[in-house]
Amino acid sequence: MVVLRSTSDLAFRNWVLEQPEGETLLRCYQCGRCTSACPVAAIDNSFNPRLFLQKILLADESLTEEQLVWTCLTCEQCEVRCPEHVKIPHLLILAKVRGLVGGNTPQGALDRARAILAGGRTIMVNESMLKTRDKMGLPDLGQPPVDQIASVLKEIGLAKKLETVESVYGGGSNE
Amino acid sequence: MSKAKTYTYFPGCMIPFRLPHFEMAARAVLKRLDIELEANPGHACCPEPTTFTGVDFDAWVTLAARNVAVSETTGLETVALCSGCFHTLAVANHMIQEDEKLKGRINERLKTVGLKVTGDLTVKNILHVLHGDVGLERIKKEITHPLTGLKFAPHYGCHLVRPLEATHMDDAEQPMWMDDLIEVTGAEVAEFEDKMSCCGAPITPSDEDKAFTLTAQRIEKIRASGADAIIVVCPTCYTQLEMQQKKATAKFDPEYSIPVLYLGELLAIAMGMKDMVISNARRYHRVKVGPLLEKIGGAA
Ligand code: SF4
Ligand code: SF4
Repeated sequence: MVVLRSTSDLAFRNWVLEQPEGETLLRCYQCGRCTSACPVAAIDNSFNPRLFLQKILLADESLTEEQLVWTCLTCEQCEVRCPEHVKIPHLLILAKVRGLVGGNTPQGALDRARAILAGGRTIMVNESMLKTRDKMGLPDLGQPPVDQIASVLKEIGLAKKLETVESVYGGGSNE
Repeated sequence: MSKAKTYTYFPGCMIPFRLPHFEMAARAVLKRLDIELEANPGHACCPEPTTFTGVDFDAWVTLAARNVAVSETTGLETVALCSGCFHTLAVANHMIQEDEKLKGRINERLKTVGLKVTGDLTVKNILHVLHGDVGLERIKKEITHPLTGLKFAPHYGCHLVRPLEATHMDDAEQPMWMDDLIEVTGAEVAEFEDKMSCCGAPITPSDEDKAFTLTAQRIEKIRASGADAIIVVCPTCYTQLEMQQKKATAKFDPEYSIPVLYLGELLAIAMGMKDMVISNARRYHRVKVGPLLEKIGGAA
């Protein structure tokens, strides 16, 4: 087996199994139907959900450093076809989450997360948007309760993590 | 005539501020059907399910649960017009129902803001409301301008439909509710390959080229069906298939274009509210809808 920095213990695999719906991983028997059903695999044969799950099963944390996991659409076409109803895109989401500390997160994803924490929305709402709503006869929606967001997330400490993390993500496809 | 029914309206970010013509059309159509939408100032971003999940899933499900808890306080059913919002609220609600430990952990966090989530909320999308609650018969009565002779391709998108155990939709691979709503307008439903494929949008932040390769494939298959327009529910699908359509068609035929209508716009047209759709089209549609509306008759 290839020796990688983080393959020496089962930490990654155990963490995945502890997460809600993470234990569905253990039902995977590597049949490959997910990969056959996957539209991303169809245009890029280095994207292979079956092999991604194999990595998690083998506690190979290098998966969390792979930019490819972020090209999962979360479309769930794989999950519909999986005979064991493994929560495949969810397991890939968990690999993405583990990759945050190393910066394996697209810049756009970090920007959105920071916007949500700071303003309660993915986008900056400006005067002209509010005017347009008014002109269209649509009601005022008020301001999202940002203080509540901060309060319920306090224990998780996401705001702190986002302060320091930097995306090492190229983002482009044509390397 | 039945009394008006009110739903709690979960607005999210995209529809109210980037694509308000969705909300305008939906409200107008629902009003005809004696339905009111009532927003609640306690709601915030759902949060969106395609990237925030991968930043911090625990934070995602916690913020989603806070929105669900706010909805629970209204005592009404909640409808989210956006498929992303709907998916987030439905999935979080389902996880809370299934996982007592998760529910307990989240309620500890919600306690700090005086909220509590039980999992008893009913989260709906526009198809649940139109097809399920109102019913085709009632909608048919409001169709004053039948769209006979036109053919539409229903693009359901992924997050509206999957996973079935949380979305409570009719089928994960062959859903029919939007098909039925198209037929109720008098139009024909286009048959095309890969009905339940993704629009490609979720991976634009990580790999835009791959995203538009998928979008191009999607549009090419719909083109082969001879559809007059694509009908969508989701604002993200709309952005990808309509606002950004040129980036996709550039990959196979830069001359080609196809109008995209929000389902609410389609129903509004068939209910005689074409003028509203036309006046919003100037600002919110990049592909001209004029020629399509002329086919329906009487367009400027
Ligand atoms: S289809 Fe399911 S069981 Fe088969 S390899 Fe994929 S995840 Fe594993
Ligand atoms: S959810 Fe991800 S892995 Fe599954 S089919 Fe869609 S793109 Fe492929």
